Amino acid sequence: MTRNKTIREPVKLKKELKLTPGYLLCAIWAIFTFLLIGWTLAASLVTPREIFGGDVIGTFFERLLRFDLVFNNYRLAWGAQNLSRFFLNSVIYVTISLPLIIIISAPAAYALSRFRFRFNALVQGLTSISMGIPAVMIIMPIFSLATALRMTGTRTTLVFLYIGMSIPFTIFYLLPFFKNLPSGLEEAAAVDGCSPVRTFWRIMFPLAQPGIITVTIFNFITLWNEFFISMIFANDAQIRPIAVGLFNMVQGMRYAGHWGAMFASTVIVFAPTFVLFIVLSNKILTSVTGGAIKG
Amino acid sequence: MVGRKNKRMIVLFLIPAMFIYVMVFIYPVLRTFVMSFFAVEAIETPIAAWTFAGLNNYIGLFRIDLFNRSVTNYLTLWFVGGIAVLFLAMVYAVILTSGVRLKKFWRAVIYLPNIISAIALGTMWINYAFRDNDGLFDRIVEAVGGQTPVMWTGPYMGLWSLLIAYCFGMVGYIMLTFISGIEKIGDEYYECASIEGANIFHKFFFITLPLIRGVVRSNIVIWTVSLGTGVFAWSFMFSPTNLTLPYTMPPNYMREIIFGGRGSAVVQRDSGAAASVGILIALLVVVISVVSSLITRKDDVEM
Repeated sequence: MTRNKTIREPVKLKKELKLTPGYLLCAIWAIFTFLLIGWTLAASLVTPREIFGGDVIGTFFERLLRFDLVFNNYRLAWGAQNLSRFFLNSVIYVTISLPLIIIISAPAAYALSRFRFRFNALVQGLTSISMGIPAVMIIMPIFSLATALRMTGTRTTLVFLYIGMSIPFTIFYLLPFFKNLPSGLEEAAAVDGCSPVRTFWRIMFPLAQPGIITVTIFNFITLWNEFFISMIFANDAQIRPIAVGLFNMVQGMRYAGHWGAMFASTVIVFAPTFVLFIVLSNKILTSVTGGAIKG
Repeated sequence: MVGRKNKRMIVLFLIPAMFIYVMVFIYPVLRTFVMSFFAVEAIETPIAAWTFAGLNNYIGLFRIDLFNRSVTNYLTLWFVGGIAVLFLAMVYAVILTSGVRLKKFWRAVIYLPNIISAIALGTMWINYAFRDNDGLFDRIVEAVGGQTPVMWTGPYMGLWSLLIAYCFGMVGYIMLTFISGIEKIGDEYYECASIEGANIFHKFFFITLPLIRGVVRSNIVIWTVSLGTGVFAWSFMFSPTNLTLPYTMPPNYMREIIFGGRGSAVVQRDSGAAASVGILIALLVVVISVVSSLITRKDDVEM
């Protein structure tokens, strides 16, 4: 099946030679990516004047050797420029949204994947279609509804939308995880006098945990980076999530010449998803296409 | 089969999700669709005050240069960027399944831009890669003897720079779906072909490509769907203060005519027309999904 070989092959020169163009292309991509991120990191730790001086990475290493990195950029970005508030906002939104997404999606995915009933195909079809609906199609009616309910510019509306947007994908992703659980678990539980609802939460839900954890990682990355909905529904600086906060800060800092702080805020914004990815990259990469797309 | 207890449970389990579907998807889509045929100035206007306008919103949009330009920009990005992303993703997928060492590392590096916030990534591109004179791209151009500054974020190169930066973030995801498609093909096909003397190109065109046609199709749809929302942040990054011709995209134009927004008197508020913009973006998704499934359905291979 897969071409993953766990035993380390001996180096065969002829084979490796044939693969050289492939290595070259991979190396080009990797070098560019590391330069982009590495330069930004370096620029976040030197003075604005040095950023314009040209050799940012060289200056960074010089300062590193002298223990003289400019952490003040981070202090400025985090404190004076209010990045901490936007960061906290996003932490709040994500902490509330992620569990609620699962509490709504997991039971639905379970019902859809293990029981036959009249509207099953219809609901599954709706799930697939919803994933393809561009966000531009849904913002206007929701905005007018929020206006009518006097709920524009509130955290509740924002979290509600984050949850709503994530549910079709989450249900879709969890379907195969419930479907592939051994059949007969429900009957066995019923014989022991366990009600269907209890059976789900006590037995089926814990068994689907691998899928639930993975989809939550994906949802986290999506919501942390979300920009479109947030830009429309979080106009007020008080409730801005981190992506919109960063956007506004970047524009302000460019004019004010706070270049170091600008790159420092950029680093702070991508750090959480970046670290998560470094730690879990293998799990994330094997699951992106795992349950979701059939080849 | 479904007992009464189970029936109660199914209903209970589906109600919250169905409520979300109705509130966040079904009702908004229908209302946006209807709204696109009515003259509605402000987004808050109640339905009672809408007046029927037939196709006027659509016709009116195409009389506005800025909107027409946004459509041209969008379709250019969709077509040129789509070909570039699918091509690069395919190349890297083939490389990573050809037995290279450090496969997991390369795969992670190529996917990496996908998990970084578009705003953070855009800041790095605009302020480092595309910066005039001492930015990375200008340095490279200078090194090979070209004329600098190229003005990557200027009016001539702007759209292409946006395209490069946006595509950079998309290749990894598309590549992963190609890899999973390629890995489903049995090794015996390739071994057999190798014995017969086929080279890597033969193998790609006569084995891989025909067998992953379905994946190509779903990747075209994924690309089209993600563009509608994904491009919004990039257009904003390249043109933060107001709508400018080289970077205008339909979703950004739409936001401008709903909320007025960034101090531009150029654009008049018109929510009816904004709904039409939404419908047009969705229409591209629908057309592409239908066409690509019609083209490739007949000769799909079951594996």
